[in-house]
Amino acid sequence: MSQPTASSPSSGQRATILIILVILILVPFGYSVVSYMTVQAEPTEVFLEMPDPVHKECVKDTEYMRYHHWELLRNVREEVVRYGIRGEVSLDGCRDCHTSREEFCNKCHDATSLKPDCFGCHYYP
Amino acid sequence: MEDKPPETTPDNGNDRALLIDPDLEFIEMLGFNAGGNFKKCIQCGTCSGTCTLTPDVKSFPCKEMSWATWGMKDRLRADLDVWLCYQCNDCSARCPRGARPGDVLGAIRREVVREYSFPSFMAKWSSEPQSLLLMLGLPIALLAAMLYFRAPLEEALGIVPDTDSTIVYAYSAYFPQWMLNLFFGFFTVVTFLIAVAGVSRFWSIMEKGQHLRGRTEPVMGRWQAIYVGLKKALTHEHFGTCEKSHSRIWSHALVMFGFAALTAVTLWVITAPYNPLIKNAFVYPFAFLSPWKILANVGGLAALFGVCVMGYERVVETDKNAQDSFSDWALIGAVIAVLVSGFATEALHYVRLEPHRHLVYFAHLVFVFALLMYLPYSKLAHILYRTTALVFAERYGRKIGIEPAAEPEIPVIEREEVAHVAADSQ
Repeated sequence: MSQPTASSPSSGQRATILIILVILILVPFGYSVVSYMTVQAEPTEVFLEMPDPVHKECVKDTEYMRYHHWELLRNVREEVVRYGIRGEVSLDGCRDCHTSREEFCNKCHDATSLKPDCFGCHYYP
Repeated sequence: MEDKPPETTPDNGNDRALLIDPDLEFIEMLGFNAGGNFKKCIQCGTCSGTCTLTPDVKSFPCKEMSWATWGMKDRLRADLDVWLCYQCNDCSARCPRGARPGDVLGAIRREVVREYSFPSFMAKWSSEPQSLLLMLGLPIALLAAMLYFRAPLEEALGIVPDTDSTIVYAYSAYFPQWMLNLFFGFFTVVTFLIAVAGVSRFWSIMEKGQHLRGRTEPVMGRWQAIYVGLKKALTHEHFGTCEKSHSRIWSHALVMFGFAALTAVTLWVITAPYNPLIKNAFVYPFAFLSPWKILANVGGLAALFGVCVMGYERVVETDKNAQDSFSDWALIGAVIAVLVSGFATEALHYVRLEPHRHLVYFAHLVFVFALLMYLPYSKLAHILYRTTALVFAERYGRKIGIEPAAEPEIPVIEREEVAHVAADSQ
């Protein structure tokens, strides 16, 4: 009754394609399971390096700093570069507590493929 | 089948008359969605003869054309066969009267979806172009209200920002994780219940028809029928049999599996705080070369390519395709809007545009809401009803030639009564 036309895949081909697609969709899950099992031995609790306790707290609360620090820094840059207003906040101050860019800033920036242009000018160890 | 005389059904016996009460609104809607020519059908049967999918017994779409012109909504909503049609439009191309049976079956499916979904005003709004702004305005208003009342809501629900956690959602600045999970979680549950209710009604009405015809014995076990039906749906078995538009097998598969990939990634992301595999160190959005990000990007591009092919074929290769209806373009539009706004959100993240990316993300959320939460009312409801029909067809042996179940109670009156009824109704 129903014969597949020449240019459409046969039943076996369709089943094969389906299995391949399902496997492809499951690849990231498999990757996550494998990386979970292989990284198991290392302690991974510390994701972001904790700041040195020079100061008790940051210029704003953690919630704000986590989600809005880029807005804060951009506004500071605006004030300094355009209007010459040097306030209390500077990247210099950040370094007092967050000593390592690799262990602090880049942890999230790398994880989200972000390349902020702060460090093109500013030295940050 | 055994040797026995063919059953005479009440409606095709010559000694009885059938009282038909045409549903004029239904006929009007079919005309709106399928073009006005469907009443030109002369029941020649060319469509059923052309169809490569129809079983040989009580084949479609010829009988559905007759029911449609008479506005017999009760029969059509209980009819399994309209969902076995994949609208390749081989029949429309060969119809000598230009009645376009393929499009009529599409329009019938549209009306059947409206029939089974509730609340009925949602079904009505989602099927008419003038309500488009309203349907988009609803998620905009709901989401905006939640964002506006974020602080009091957090206080009322006792939500404290979890700053100790190293699960970081970069979009949480304006769209906190708890809010999105609550918002989409609630409406997904509601939509799921509506979908289950519609599908159960569809199934029980078809089974009732089966009982009325004295066919209560399924020919296949429940789980086997589900397995075979789902396998047919996933492998696109019926797409391959069309003569005119077999390219649709590729565009549909790209969209379907593209969205399967996107669903997998979404589930991984929204469950991250509770996922032991992630070990409390997770930053979203993903790195560009993370396997999850690659899956999401490839899936999204596949779906976008597929849906663009669908749109292109509708616009340019019109002879291959169905006549356009609002619901077709509403679905294509919603899919494109979801994908394009998603990719725009991603791009704006990489170029670090604040707060633009949040505005685009808001639009993306609105489109996602429209696509998912209007599923039981839109053309996307074919996921529910077509899959159900494929399973039912296996379970009750429709594909091996057993008559369809679609014969619900229709008042049958003796011939001598006809005159009285006719006189009464005037």
